[in-house]
Amino acid sequence: MENVEISLDPETEFLYSKEGTGNEWELFKENVRPLKRGRNVRLLNDALKSQTDHLLKKSLLHNRRKMVEAIDEYKGDDPLKPWLECIKWVQEAFPPGGDCSGLVVIYEQCVRTFWHEDRYKDDLRYLKVWLEYAENCADAEVIYSFLEANKIGQTHSIFFISYALHMESKNKIKTANEIFNMGISRDAQPIEKLKAAYKKFLGRSMGRPKPTDEDLTENRLAARSFGTVLARGETRNQIMESSDFSRKKMKQDRAYGTPLNIYKDTNANANATLFHQLELSEADSRSWYTLGSRKERNKENNAIPTKWTSNKIPRRAGHITGGATASACIDVFVDEECAENYKVHSEGGKSSTLLLRQGDGQNLKKETELLRENPLRNFPPICLPR
Amino acid sequence: MASRTATKDIITLRGSAAIVSEFFGYAANSILYNRGVYPEETFAKVKKYGLPMLLTQDEGVKTFIANLTAQLSDWLESGKLQRVVLVIMSKVTNEVLERWNFSIETDNEVLEKGVAREKSDKEIMREIQAIMRQIASSITYLPCLDEPCVFDVLAYTDKDVAVPFTWIESDPKLIANPQMVKLHSFNTKIHKVDTLVSYKNDEWDEE
Repeated sequence: MENVEISLDPETEFLYSKEGTGNEWELFKENVRPLKRGRNVRLLNDALKSQTDHLLKKSLLHNRRKMVEAIDEYKGDDPLKPWLECIKWVQEAFPPGGDCSGLVVIYEQCVRTFWHEDRYKDDLRYLKVWLEYAENCADAEVIYSFLEANKIGQTHSIFFISYALHMESKNKIKTANEIFNMGISRDAQPIEKLKAAYKKFLGRSMGRPKPTDEDLTENRLAARSFGTVLARGETRNQIMESSDFSRKKMKQDRAYGTPLNIYKDTNANANATLFHQLELSEADSRSWYTLGSRKERNKENNAIPTKWTSNKIPRRAGHITGGATASACIDVFVDEECAENYKVHSEGGKSSTLLLRQGDGQNLKKETELLRENPLRNFPPICLPR
Repeated sequence: MASRTATKDIITLRGSAAIVSEFFGYAANSILYNRGVYPEETFAKVKKYGLPMLLTQDEGVKTFIANLTAQLSDWLESGKLQRVVLVIMSKVTNEVLERWNFSIETDNEVLEKGVAREKSDKEIMREIQAIMRQIASSITYLPCLDEPCVFDVLAYTDKDVAVPFTWIESDPKLIANPQMVKLHSFNTKIHKVDTLVSYKNDEWDEE
């Protein structure tokens, strides 16, 4: 009690120092995607400053290139490490995340590089990369099935928790229940965390009636509190099921790229998952209240042309001129400089490393979109779960 | 249009202590709400500092905070309070996850001579408002608390303060290698309050 403390703890030191913290994080908070693991505020502020500062922007691209090189040049015995450093860096340097950051691309490359390696099969860090990748995809179920089939991360609780919660959000309660039980029977670690999550899940599924359409309208307009998204409904004891649904719905909205089909389209996407299908007329009145998922907003660019089935145009009398036959494909003119890039691009796996290196926003965006729709597209078909 | 000359209000030591302890009560509620320590439904909205503030309706927590602010006010009036820290810990492992520091500097002259100061109430309110907004926005960088948490309040006082009945002496419950962020401060001209939040670095290889 009488000891005089000579060294101050870091907080006291910082508190009484003249040093401050920049407030870019507050000014640009809408542009920052919260990370589960939290962010380093100093890096965040720098990254936000770089949005307007040209020099910082350049050094950002330069740094990204260096991180990717570090991956290639690593000689130590833990090749996953430089990948993690790179991922962490991309997360900090591109606060809004988004398709041009290359985050999804690098997740994919990292998991693809090591999926067959036995040594990382139970590595928590490797599993976490998979889980973050899953969060960014339209339908994470295919990833969870893949992990299960290939025995990756099966000793960790967070695998089962994430998987089960994902199923719960798709309203597949029975499956979620099975997954929890599977994890418990396999003694996944830490077991207490798994059991606690299971208990919470049971509590939620007990008090959950079938939602009515009316509830949905109210919830759509409910103010979204800033802090709900990441918690995934776990720490919040849901007394009112309606708020439960609004939260889950919001979570679905925020899981980037999760299709949120509001109405039953005649060309319903096989991957579409939803709480309930609303009628078309109701959807019209509601359509202004939600922005819709990324996929929805982008559908003009992505939709595959299908047969127009709903309206028939009466056939006109008179002959139809022929000549509509498809002639030889029009040759796309390719610049000399681009010819080389184009060639490399068509070479499967290696191409995405090149993309990352170039740091070209547009290419990353395209690759990211493709990956979101089909996260295992670059994997050899033989290893995919049946 | 009224001109913007701020009318200054007289602030006494007692008044300032009241402002600071009240601030702490609202800040604590805001932190408990925003960090999800208690479920959202257990909070009710009130208007304060020109913002919609959330106050817990849970009787236990309400009483705890009320007793707390009363004690803080007491200490503030005697100038014995140096810092108040709201600590958020994991319920299961008791590991400290976040520390919200509010450090207090008291004007000695006021303590000794009992003088009063002048500052516009509105301006103090604006400063407090800025802090409250930052607390709410802090999810930008704070790690997700996806496990059940509990909170506790630590008070750093002068050594000669007797420990009140409902308090115990404790270790500082520090976080090892914390990330730290300084937030805005406010000043009543008698008490200056600085805010700092520190949190655990979330590592990839931790369960």
